Amino acid sequence: MPGSTDRSPLPLAGEVAERASARRVRAQGLHISSVAPHPPIALSRDGPLPLPRAGEGKATGLKRAHFRHSRLPLLLLLPQLLVLALFFFIPALRALAQAFLLADPFGNRMQFVWFDNFRALLASPEYQSSVWVTLWFTLAQNALTITVAGLLAFATDRVIRTRGLYRTVILLPYAVAPVIAGILWAFLFNPAVGPIAHALQALGIAWDPNRNGSDAFILVTLAATWKHICYDYIFLVAALLAVPPSLLEAAAVDGAGPTRRFFTVALPMIGPTVFFLLVMNFVYGFFETFAIIDAVTHGGPAGATMILVYKVYQDGFVHIDLGSSAAQSVLLMAFAIILTLLQFRYVERNVNYDV
Amino acid sequence: MMTTRKKFVSGLLAACVTAGMAVPAWAQKVEVQFWHAMGGVLGERVDELVKKFNDSQAKYTVVAVNKGNYDEVINGTIAAYRAKKAPHMVQIYERGFMTMLLSDAIVPVQDLLTEKKHAIDWSDFIKPVAGYYTYKGKLMSMPFNSSTPILWYNKEHFAKAGFKDGPAPTWPELEKQLYAIKAKGIADCGSSLAGDYFWSLVENYSVVNDQPFGTRSKGFDGLDTEFVYNKTLVVQQVTRLKKWVDDGVMQIAGQGLNPEQLYTSGKCSTFFASTAAHGSVERNAKIAWSATYLPAEPGVTARNSTIGGATIWVLKGHKAEEYDAVAAFLSFLASPELQVWWHKATGYVPLTNKAYQLAKQEGYYAANPTREIAVLQLSRGTPTANSQGFRFGNFTQTTFALRQELEAVFANKKPPQQALDDAVRRGNDILRQFEKLHAGKY
Repeated sequence: MPGSTDRSPLPLAGEVAERASARRVRAQGLHISSVAPHPPIALSRDGPLPLPRAGEGKATGLKRAHFRHSRLPLLLLLPQLLVLALFFFIPALRALAQAFLLADPFGNRMQFVWFDNFRALLASPEYQSSVWVTLWFTLAQNALTITVAGLLAFATDRVIRTRGLYRTVILLPYAVAPVIAGILWAFLFNPAVGPIAHALQALGIAWDPNRNGSDAFILVTLAATWKHICYDYIFLVAALLAVPPSLLEAAAVDGAGPTRRFFTVALPMIGPTVFFLLVMNFVYGFFETFAIIDAVTHGGPAGATMILVYKVYQDGFVHIDLGSSAAQSVLLMAFAIILTLLQFRYVERNVNYDV
Repeated sequence: MMTTRKKFVSGLLAACVTAGMAVPAWAQKVEVQFWHAMGGVLGERVDELVKKFNDSQAKYTVVAVNKGNYDEVINGTIAAYRAKKAPHMVQIYERGFMTMLLSDAIVPVQDLLTEKKHAIDWSDFIKPVAGYYTYKGKLMSMPFNSSTPILWYNKEHFAKAGFKDGPAPTWPELEKQLYAIKAKGIADCGSSLAGDYFWSLVENYSVVNDQPFGTRSKGFDGLDTEFVYNKTLVVQQVTRLKKWVDDGVMQIAGQGLNPEQLYTSGKCSTFFASTAAHGSVERNAKIAWSATYLPAEPGVTARNSTIGGATIWVLKGHKAEEYDAVAAFLSFLASPELQVWWHKATGYVPLTNKAYQLAKQEGYYAANPTREIAVLQLSRGTPTANSQGFRFGNFTQTTFALRQELEAVFANKKPPQQALDDAVRRGNDILRQFEKLHAGKY
């Protein structure tokens, strides 16, 4: 169009360069609001940095180009598949088969009982109570772990002089074996000899985890949390370090205090890490707290801390009721899968990976 | 590529074969495995015992391996059996009797020793021990470590409170004494609750007081036995224990603390526990300790108590000469001299009358009167159907149900009667499972 040079359909060179640099910045994980509204344009002509689109590499990617035969990849996978088969698939299938049997532990006598083991379990008040205990325990442990670890990670930046020591102290529990940790907690809180229990009693709290189920529940939740805080802490500190200081500084200039900066700037940016940790904490609460339960309460008193994985062990390896134990582990796996799926479905929705 | 792989595989095979053929020269002795559950000091005693046997002859070697606690030993044995690598001998607790008996995996001990021509006076085994492990007139496993609960007490505490004769013989009187000791500030607690209190304070309580525990002679007469302890004096006993716990007269040690320490340190005045605690009490106690019989209810003729502990089972599937070694070892165990040594070294009861007489003649009980209590208590009065041992299937599991329900009582979650009703209901369900699986086999 004559006379309208200012409205060129093609972007000017300077504009192109600006967009490209904005992309580069985005690629580094920054999000700058002034350039965000620009629609992404593929710059194939003279753009300095043509970035591949998402999914672009899939159709003609490495896989097809380099592995025309399917034998070599299979061969390379074989060791891993073998390990998986030996330690996961075969035992899982055997557990599944055992779940339908009423069997003598020596394996010399067995009856196929269809769903009797499952039916007995689901009807038993002890099992139902164990499901609830597991759920509350995992939720409490998860919330507590991520909150405390978040606080400690947030505080890391504010500890200046002894930061190394601070980090080391927080990471120490990870080096303690779970059983030892459990015994330490059990001893510290033992109503007859434990110093912390004595302090609580001096405050007028009738503390007795050996009798009182909720005391025992609090105790194992604290012990399990204490043991796992360091894990979450490492990830959160690393994630917070990746938050660009310029953003925080900009927010500070705008007058946001440290807490506001954390919640409105830093937290959304570390969303993916937090989500990852939530899933990992669930897995930890479900399966890895076994040693702590074993050392602190043995699932007692009266089943108040009998989480599902401990019940599987109790019924299978102490009471040698293999059918029920196998049925329980099948159900446990189902619960774990369902919970993880639910988390991906509902919690992950609120996680923004684009920043 | 194929050739290298073949080379590699054949090389591997060759290596395996060579390793398998490298039989050391000293293996001319027949070696047999003995898995046991004795840790700590008791484990050292077992090692000594096995050494005594290995030194006593030149043909056989017994290798003793500690496989953890009782639960771990029975589990390890089952896993090994299923992998066809079972040990020759294994120590299994009394609660595993029915599981082992009906497993089709064992060789009855009396049959084995008779077949191998070892002359053993089977009638000389003391009644409460032999009765527990005899099936159809024959001992199924070799009695090894048997004990019974007794009442341990602190002489000084009782004397200070004015009870010069020590604990009273009946429960109500003993209760008054323990409350008096606490009220006078002599001790923090009257009694420390042992980890196996269900054995000493519920099961043996029923036995001593002649209370029925289960129908069909507690399982001796058939797999269709049912628990009935929710209709006996046990309800009253549990109510009493709950009251003691509430009033701080009974202390639950809990995890992270050995209940025996509460007694040996002088914190609690009494301790209902196994006579096998002699070894550790003698070593650890800084108090003036003593022991006496379990109390009984007033008006009841106190009967014998029953045993706990373990026996040695012989497993199927080994070579004839290995069973020669097993038989030699078990017959060595039954000798009176060895029985006396074991009795003195561990605190377990002597298993034969001859061994008991021998210890008595040596003047052992005059010097150590508390060591005799278990033997005398086990053979006290005329046995009744209620005072013999227990023969329940899945006994570990039913006991656990009982323990959980008792914990619910101590936690104020259930009144004693309801908890015991629930324990009986859960226990009976478990017994029915066992009956269903083993129908017609007992």
